[in-house]
Amino acid sequence: MKGWRFILVYLILMVVQSIIGNYFWLARYVLISVLPALILMLPLSYGSIVSMLIAFVTGLAVDFFSTGMVGLSSFALVPLALSRRLLDALVFGDDQASQEDELSFQHFGAPKMLLSILLSCVLYFALYVWADSAGTVGFWQAFLRFLLSVIVSTPVCAFAARLLRPE
Amino acid sequence: MARHAKTYAGLAVAAVFIILEIAALSMLKSSSVLQDTWINRASHRVMAWGWGRLSNVRNYLSLQQQNQILAGRNYELFKELQNYKEMEKELVALSRLDSLGFRSRFNYIPAEITAMGTNSRHNYIILDKGRDEGVRAGSAIITPNGVVGMVYSVDRHYSYGLSLLNDKISVSARIGREGIVAPMSWDGRGTDRAVLRNIPLHLDVPQGDTVLTSGISTVYPADIPIGVTMGSRLVDGAVNIVDVKLFIDFSSLRYVIIAENPDRETIEEMER
Repeated sequence: MKGWRFILVYLILMVVQSIIGNYFWLARYVLISVLPALILMLPLSYGSIVSMLIAFVTGLAVDFFSTGMVGLSSFALVPLALSRRLLDALVFGDDQASQEDELSFQHFGAPKMLLSILLSCVLYFALYVWADSAGTVGFWQAFLRFLLSVIVSTPVCAFAARLLRPE
Repeated sequence: MARHAKTYAGLAVAAVFIILEIAALSMLKSSSVLQDTWINRASHRVMAWGWGRLSNVRNYLSLQQQNQILAGRNYELFKELQNYKEMEKELVALSRLDSLGFRSRFNYIPAEITAMGTNSRHNYIILDKGRDEGVRAGSAIITPNGVVGMVYSVDRHYSYGLSLLNDKISVSARIGREGIVAPMSWDGRGTDRAVLRNIPLHLDVPQGDTVLTSGISTVYPADIPIGVTMGSRLVDGAVNIVDVKLFIDFSSLRYVIIAENPDRETIEEMER
């Protein structure tokens, strides 16, 4: 039941992300994305390969249904899925992360969860902004876009994470 | 077994990651002109870097062959230079007799060092040329940078020589082209230095003068640079000893030239 609920919320958040992609017109300056939270909150029992495949398909679906460039989200999400376990070990500690199958605010506390979400956003947006600007904008302009996107999306991702694992 | 399973799992993860990223980039490439140009540029840069590294590796692997070619060329040039030097001398000597028949006094054979010792007082050297290649005991072992030693005994395809870093070897040397002639030998104080012995007290030897083979020998060809003079010191209150800084770096020596004097036995017979 819990698993089905997670899948349902996951799909709804993908639809929400597609809507944001279609109707949010400030994307040139700031990006809003819940995708890092979706990948971060995947059950830890999923290995790296399964996580990367889910990340790839998720990114592809969101790009396809929004006006974004197909492949861009997948390009940024797959490395996040690959480094997910490393991030967890870094933030929650090796033992604690391996004992629990799911990340949640209840188990790990808000500060660690927020730090984990922040690091995921940093990795995701660094790759996303880099590939999206394709060398056509200056460093500081791209950096500002990256910084604003991380600042805006981290709370949005935290909210999405709570929706995915409410307990 | 468990370690192998872990390695294979790691390789599988890396392979899937690379495949997914390439797939994402391919889709991105075809969905935007900007990204297409960016990815093309990046891939060209990566390929150029890869080709550069590959070319470096290839160059490194061919160094051995290039060294041998250079050693061969070096030997040819040295032989030519020695012939010219001897011709020049004989020209001067024979011009009065209007005679122009020249012939090099030495035969030269290039060789590679198979083994060499530098850690004892009686250091040796083994070369990859022997009797079958025309090497005879008593031949000089030299390079364009100086004297290496002397062949002591020969086998069919190998020669055993005494290195200059051996206190049994003495070379007749001259300070400058027209200077004092004195025996030079190794005093065991370092692989980069030797001493000129029996320098009369009244002769002043300035520092930095080039020391060459004197040519007053049946073993060593004349005018091969050996080193430069350093300081001198008094020995037994009777003679001076002059320190010589050698040109040859024995630690990196690999290719040498064997100089064989075909008239050596005749000359030595006459000396008796």
